[in-house]
Formats: sequence, structure tokens, C-alpha cells
Amino acid sequence: MANIAVARIKREFKEVVKSEEAAKCAIKVELVDNNFTELRGEIAGPPDTPYESGTFILEIKIPETYPFNPPKVRFQTKIWHPNISSVTGAICLDILRDQWAAAMTLRTVLLSLQALLAAAEPDDPQDAVVARQFKENYEIYVKTAKHWSYKYAGAPNRTPELDSKLKQLADMGVDEHRARVALSSCDWDLARATETIFS
Amino acid sequence: MASTSESEGQKEGDDPEDANKSNPSQDGTFECNICLDTAHDAVVSMCGHLFCWPCLHQWLETRPNRQTCPVCKAGISKEKVVPLYGRGNAKQEDPRTKVPPRPQGQRTEPENNGPFQSFNWGGDGGFQMSFGIGAFPFGLFASTVNLGGPRLPGAQPGTPQFEEEQFLSKLFLWVAILFIFWLLVA
Repeated sequence: MANIAVARIKREFKEVVKSEEAAKCAIKVELVDNNFTELRGEIAGPPDTPYESGTFILEIKIPETYPFNPPKVRFQTKIWHPNISSVTGAICLDILRDQWAAAMTLRTVLLSLQALLAAAEPDDPQDAVVARQFKENYEIYVKTAKHWSYKYAGAPNRTPELDSKLKQLADMGVDEHRARVALSSCDWDLARATETIFS
Repeated sequence: MASTSESEGQKEGDDPEDANKSNPSQDGTFECNICLDTAHDAVVSMCGHLFCWPCLHQWLETRPNRQTCPVCKAGISKEKVVPLYGRGNAKQEDPRTKVPPRPQGQRTEPENNGPFQSFNWGGDGGFQMSFGIGAFPFGLFASTVNLGGPRLPGAQPGTPQFEEEQFLSKLFLWVAILFIFWLLVA
């Protein structure tokens, strides 16, 4: 059934390119290889969220059995979100698992992911650390997510007070990303973060 | 048939209106919701969504436990889709030779309000029976046995529903016979 898969992806590709959302630069899709089994998606961070103005890149793998089974989608851009792993970029979204329906397309998947950024589900988490922070310390979650969007997704909002804490760890010779993960996971408590890194 | 492509439509187009109609593949009205191509061996679900039968069959096979419409997630089943027969070209005439076969359309006989038609032996051996007791002495019991008379079409042979109906009709026949015996003996 690879024939259906390729024919469909070609149509869906055109659908995304022609869509209103693409015209507004909200979603985008590119080919990675010429046999339409791997694609690169891009979604804009939705407005009024910590992801605003960021550009998030997605790795989309089309299985042989597409469209009867969902595409395999993963965030390539690092992101701080309860339903997306901050380590691997794996996504916890029902339509990419058991709620997939064959009439869904690349366009609807990308729009659903954009909606996921705007409406996190901390009770069904992929990243337990982020989900806990989201529920217990929402303001810090927003700051952290903004910081990650600035750092990895090119969003313009800087978070200077977080940067200074990062710099302190960097001065101790800690790798920047490692320091960011430790601080983010410890609600930006410098002492606790230092402890986790050096213990 | 919906799958007649524009070029074929123009070749066959003895009706001038045909050529003026917009190409269905452009507005997407007759596209299968699974392969996104113009639907062939088209079937439509009870929720009104159009699919190629091979596409829908594969979808139902992929999720045997959760059979939902790929568009609106309404419950669907093989038995509850309606095939669409257009005027069709010769290429599409034998859907049964294709694997998997497309479900058959169900044809309801018009209501027959004619005179007494009992005791007609039908070719298919179907029968209906009804009986009742009138007020004595005007009638001890009146019964009519319709054999092969007009009846609503049942399920397609071979389906579980068909077997169930066969079983029920036999069961009721024996219950009726026992009841008549009881009336005669009592």
C-alpha cells in the first residue's frame, strides 16, 4: 500500500503549500528525501503562549501503512512543554496514537500540534518534570518555556534573570544545555541545580 | 459514476450539459476521504462520508476493535455502508471479482396491498406465519400461513444477521406448531 501512501503525501504536501495557514507562515512542510517517506514540518508558536513567535521544527516519518496508521512525528527543536519530551522531542498526542483517523492529513496534524502548544494537557504528560512544574509553579513554567523558545526556536523574548543564573553555572564549567536542563528541572533554584549536576 | 474522469466524461459526453459541469476532482466533492483520489467502487457511510470501498475496507481491517468513520469518528460497520452505483463504464461492472468484495445494495420490494396471497410457494422457500384465536363460536382460531409471500428483505445470505434470522424464523415456526397441537389436544 505504499502506493496510496506516496500518492496521498503528494496531495497533502500540495494542500499544505496552498493552505491559508501556510500563507500566514503558521505551518510549513518540506521534503527531506525524494520518496516522500520523510518530511520536515515547521509550526509557528501560537500567539499569547510562551512559544509565541518561535519556529518549531518537526521530524515527520511516513510509515508504509499510511494513511491507515499515523505518521511518526517528533519535535526536532527543543521545547519545554508538558506533552513533549524535553529530551527526545517525543509527542504525547492522542491523534498520533490511537485516535488517528485516515482522513487526517499533514495539515490537520500540524494544526493539531500548534493547538497542543496553546493548550497543554498536564494530566496526560510526556515529560513528567515539565508537567509537575506546569501544575505546581505555573509562572516558572511560563518563564522556562519562554526561555527555551528564545534559545532554541528563535523567539524574540529574552529572559535576563534566567540568563544570569545560567551564566553562573557556565562559569563553573558546566555545558550550557546541561545547565539549562538542570535549572529548568529545579525551578531555577541555583543551589539545587548545582547539586544535581555535581552529585 | 463518480470516478469518470474529465477526459472520459468529454468523450462520452453526448449530453452537452456534461461538458459544462465542473470537474469533480477539482472541487473535491467526489474524492475518497482516505486516498484523496476520486472515489472508485464508491461507498458512503451512514454519516454521509464517501470512500473507495478498498480504502474503507482496509481502514476497518486495520482497526477491528474500534470501527469508526475516518472523518467524523461515528461508529460504522461493513454492513452499514451503502454502495453508490452511477451509470458506470464497463471497466467497473464486476466489483465482486475484486478483493475485497464491495457490500451489496439492499433492495426493498414495494409494499404489496393485493388480495389474499397465502399459500404461494415461493422459489426461495421463505415463509411467514401468523395465527390468532377469534371469539368462540365465531371462530375457534384463524390462522394464515404465508409461504413465500411478499416479505421484507432480510439480511444478505452468509452474514451473521442472516443466520440469526433463519434461526429465529425456525424457532417461531416450532413454537407455533406446538401451540396448535396444544389447542387441538386441550
